[in-house]
Amino acid sequence: MLQSFRHSMTWVHTWFGLALGFVLMVCFFFGSLSVYDREIDRWAIPASRFEPQPMPSFDRMLEPAFRRIQLTKEAREEAQTRNEEPLPDTLPLHEWGAYTTHRDPVLSMWSGFELTRPKDPDNDHVYGVMTLDPRTGQELSEDKLKIGSQFFYPMHYELHIHWLGLGYWIVGLAALIMLVALVSGVVMHRKVFREFFTFRPKKQTQRSALDLHNLTGVVALPFHFMFALSGLIVFAGIYFPVGETMMKPLAKAHQKLEASRTGLPEEAAGIPAPLASVDAMVAEAQRRWAARGMAGEVGFLGIHHVGDANATVSVYRAGTDRVTLTGEGIHFKGPTGEVIREDDPKTAAAGINDFVTGLHLQHFRHWLLRVLYFVGGISGCVCIATGFIFFVGKRKRQHAATGSQGARIVDALAVTTVTGMLIATATMLVGNRLLPEDLPLRGVWEERIFWSAWGLAMAHAFWRTAAVAQARIAPAWREQCWAVAGLAGLAAVLNWVTTGDHLFKTIADGYWPVAGVDLVLLASAALAIVAARKLRLREQAGAPAAKEDAPAPLETAHA
Amino acid sequence: MSTHSLSTLHVVSRVAASLLGGYVFVWGFVTLGIALLMSAGMPYDEATTTLYLLAFILFLVMFCWAFAAASLVRVWAVLGGGGLLMTGLAWLLIPRLL
Repeated sequence: MLQSFRHSMTWVHTWFGLALGFVLMVCFFFGSLSVYDREIDRWAIPASRFEPQPMPSFDRMLEPAFRRIQLTKEAREEAQTRNEEPLPDTLPLHEWGAYTTHRDPVLSMWSGFELTRPKDPDNDHVYGVMTLDPRTGQELSEDKLKIGSQFFYPMHYELHIHWLGLGYWIVGLAALIMLVALVSGVVMHRKVFREFFTFRPKKQTQRSALDLHNLTGVVALPFHFMFALSGLIVFAGIYFPVGETMMKPLAKAHQKLEASRTGLPEEAAGIPAPLASVDAMVAEAQRRWAARGMAGEVGFLGIHHVGDANATVSVYRAGTDRVTLTGEGIHFKGPTGEVIREDDPKTAAAGINDFVTGLHLQHFRHWLLRVLYFVGGISGCVCIATGFIFFVGKRKRQHAATGSQGARIVDALAVTTVTGMLIATATMLVGNRLLPEDLPLRGVWEERIFWSAWGLAMAHAFWRTAAVAQARIAPAWREQCWAVAGLAGLAAVLNWVTTGDHLFKTIADGYWPVAGVDLVLLASAALAIVAARKLRLREQAGAPAAKEDAPAPLETAHA
Repeated sequence: MSTHSLSTLHVVSRVAASLLGGYVFVWGFVTLGIALLMSAGMPYDEATTTLYLLAFILFLVMFCWAFAAASLVRVWAVLGGGGLLMTGLAWLLIPRLL
């Protein structure tokens, strides 16, 4: 497009990086938090602060619990819109599922029901869910939001924008641009190797921001590349839905062929039949895994065509001992308990796909790798945030001279997505500790608190960045750093006050899920204070020639 | 980083070509690739997985090329035209695979 390849790539890097950087910031930050989603859940739901539990007995505990699962009012109303006739009070059962990991004290269960006269025969199920305490067999209230796994985790791949699945597409575009930014970023810098070893924190802000941008971009380049790429591959079926559109006849034919080849019936027989002992089937599956020398905890238990002669029970292994997605599913006839089949060995393509997916989803048990994932993700945030600061630093004097608002708007959006996002996150945790325990729809209120706090931070960011239009440093950064420090510290204190689980106790007990969240909150607060004080000094130095604030807002991105 | 020599229309068209043209091109590549691998005897799910693994790397390359290429007409012709052509060929192949 421009006079040289390098110039064209620089243009792409700058403008696409700017436009999608705000989305990427959200993806990288909440993706990093998702590394510890289960731990954040423990912090947010004190009733679930106990050790991870193995899959409990189906015959004694799970079956009665499954039978208690009801549809919520919202699920029933949504299902009604997909059905030709009024839904009866009890819908026919279709499937049951129970899922746990080596980090889950509580068990996620769901029950799928069939619509009686679906408008679309390919969309004929509706689901009820339950969270079970496997020690007692009692359910936990679904009004308690699992902030880590139900809010932060989906945020990083669909932004909680459900309309037309738009959130997935925005994140997908951002991930593609992340790949583009990495490639174009390497192309535009001819001295990548030397820049890798360059960091000049004492130099002018713009210089040190750029150094940090290059350093975090290059040092974690393989990490960033693999995460953006594997994230896209995980949802390839959403981005290129060939099987639901052009190639639907092929996909359908393949499904039929598989059903007959594997002997796992696609449809119910319509003849009622009781289930044999599922515990015995689980024991048989574990015996077969042990014979192959594999860890034998059950991760996922699925029952299809519940109560029908064609019922099947599938037992999958929890993937704690390798990177690739595991399962090694073993499938049983429900009414008799005899083995139908074991999963085929993976084909080459499926093996690579499962490895790439497993690399992204990290079901394995390895605390150090988990820390590195978190650090890698946060380094992505630093890389993006320094990109914004460099963009603003490079243009604000020129924009001030010409009266352009460009740099100010970018700075305001950068404040919103860097410190503003931290404020929203910390405020949600504060709200989680302050809302009454038995408040109906408690989780909905927590989400409202999150979005309101973010909205306020954005308004503040636009208000307090006026200085940028005069080529000075915006007070918004410093003020929001103080807010982050206050809120993060408050969240940790409130955890102590409301649950009694203060750091001395949780560390002494070695209860790292809660201790870890508290420690990160306090570390974030401390970094935010350091950042705010440095920003103060630089504002006072006040030389419009140098915006000496770069490392400060970056450090806050570590929260 | 001067874009003064470029009209707004050119930039908009270039961006549209990179994203929409790129998407159509990758769609054509994925569908034709699946159809060809299936013609060679590979099962549907394995062919799909294989193409999904390649799709985004190809998108990345074509996206960058859309900005590197000198001629915007050629970019549209290759991405849009090539994508439609591959999709059409895949369309013709599908009934033979059932």
